[in-house]
Amino acid sequence: MTHTALQSLYPFLHGARQDAGALDRALLDAVRLKAEDSVATKRIFFERNAGKVVAMAHALAAVYQRGGRLFTMGNGGSSCDAAHIAVEFLHPITAGRAALAATNLVADTAMLTAVGNDVGIDHIFVRPLIAQARVGDGLIGVSTSGNSANLIAAFATAKRLGVATFGLAGHDGGAMVKSADLDHCLVVESDSVHRVQETHVAIYHILWDLVHTLLADARGGLEAQRR
Amino acid sequence: MKYVDEFRDPAKAQALAREIRDLLATIPRARERPLQIMEVCGGHTHSIFRYGIQQLLPDSVEFVHGPGCPVCVLPMGRVDDCIALAERPEVIFTTFGDAMRVPGSKKSLLQAKAAGADVRMVYSPLDALKLARENPRREVVFFGLGFETTMPSTAMTVLQADADGVANFSLFCNHITIIPTIKAILDSPDLQLDGFLGPGHVGMVIGTRPFDFIAGHYGKPITIAGFEPLDVLQSMWMVLKQIAEGRAEVENQYTRIVPEDGNAAALDAIGEVFELREFFEWRGLGSIDHSGVRVRDRYARFDAERRFGVPNLNIADPKSCQCGEVLKGVIKPHQCKVFGSACTPETPLGSLMVSSEGACAAYHQYGRIDTSALRKRAVAA
Repeated sequence: MTHTALQSLYPFLHGARQDAGALDRALLDAVRLKAEDSVATKRIFFERNAGKVVAMAHALAAVYQRGGRLFTMGNGGSSCDAAHIAVEFLHPITAGRAALAATNLVADTAMLTAVGNDVGIDHIFVRPLIAQARVGDGLIGVSTSGNSANLIAAFATAKRLGVATFGLAGHDGGAMVKSADLDHCLVVESDSVHRVQETHVAIYHILWDLVHTLLADARGGLEAQRR
Repeated sequence: MKYVDEFRDPAKAQALAREIRDLLATIPRARERPLQIMEVCGGHTHSIFRYGIQQLLPDSVEFVHGPGCPVCVLPMGRVDDCIALAERPEVIFTTFGDAMRVPGSKKSLLQAKAAGADVRMVYSPLDALKLARENPRREVVFFGLGFETTMPSTAMTVLQADADGVANFSLFCNHITIIPTIKAILDSPDLQLDGFLGPGHVGMVIGTRPFDFIAGHYGKPITIAGFEPLDVLQSMWMVLKQIAEGRAEVENQYTRIVPEDGNAAALDAIGEVFELREFFEWRGLGSIDHSGVRVRDRYARFDAERRFGVPNLNIADPKSCQCGEVLKGVIKPHQCKVFGSACTPETPLGSLMVSSEGACAAYHQYGRIDTSALRKRAVAA
């Protein structure tokens, strides 16, 4: 029995593989639980924050109404969200919607590595903002902890430059939600990075949609546009 | 006290430290960078700090603190599951003391108890079984936690409950195995470890043979080590001796406790009651295949998960908490962003600050590090 017990406790030492049926059952359980958690996180967020999402959409639409452009930023998985936000605005997938100016600050690897190497990673978004941002532009930063130092520094710079500032955060909102440099900050109150990021995707898809609705409304009908 | 005093002799410790210094001088690799030796077990971490062992050794060797503290690697979601069980009105939830303060996503078991849940601290699973006998109208759930070291006592308690027909006792099983976890560490792409001090108390149960793959497959020397200061120093000397001689073997320093073949009765009880989970989620390390056990079907009536159902949600650690990096040896506890400021033994954010075997708790309690920078950071925050 002793040898059998060791074999069953450490099958990899004896060349054994997982039981296929048991593994599939465990995987199906995991899928169900994570999917339920993902849905619940989104539902709770939008129940509590729908008004704040609309308010952020108004402020984002205002950036474009005054001829500004949007800058996006984030680290790690959130850098992919920054890219995703920028491409949504640049390349609308719904017919009849305008392409809007958006710059993904994470895309320029030469700039990121130059500043990161010469100055420090906390400054990688500050330098390109100083060079490119103008009064009336917008800056949106995504951080699952809300504590990314390079985002916090960029928000401070943006505020100084007269740029409207928007944040998507997770957990308890971290430093972003407490910062006076953010005009709007939406917080997905979950400890799971994955659930936070999944909800962030839903938020910026909805924001993009609302911004276009607001811009269309502001333009008025064809008659108004002719005038 | 026999088996204690002779392993704490300061003169012998100094002599061993000199031997280690001499040995290190013969290892070329130690002149290029500090050799990194992982003490797998949290009990070793505690001894290293309590007795200032790192300070006895030269800078050319350093301890890397491993994942061998079962309280520390318990994921937050499992603590939430404990609380969900404990808050059921019919349940008396029993646990070892060090698990009481581990933070869940909303609260700890201690806070649940303060809010009215019937949570009781026990010293053995048999205490929980006794409570079940004394409270036949309540459901007594024991929080089974720990590595191979504590699995046998839990298994034997289930066997006892079965033999005695105790119907109101069950187990919330969170037992985990250290061997697959060592393999996961060895498979890490950024591994820099030069050798291991092996977990003596796990070895007492499973013997030395399951550690053979560490030397045989991965070419890393390992010494199964005891927990007194001279045990740790002698084990370090044995590992360094292997490195100096270009050997990679499993050696046993803790011969007074660890038999080569382990404890047959304990292994049989484990095999009878438990089977492997396909994977288990560890705090800081993620999901590791075959690293946890559950109760076998034939003892399902003693399985609290099946008896009551638990939410079983996967909750990530707070982003500010760097327990994962500490567990993997990527950073030292005092290099964590919240060590000593937002995270202290009184108000822990991470489990490594809770358990007496946790690396962060050991650093905080025994220190011997310059904390002035931490204090400045706390003031700035």
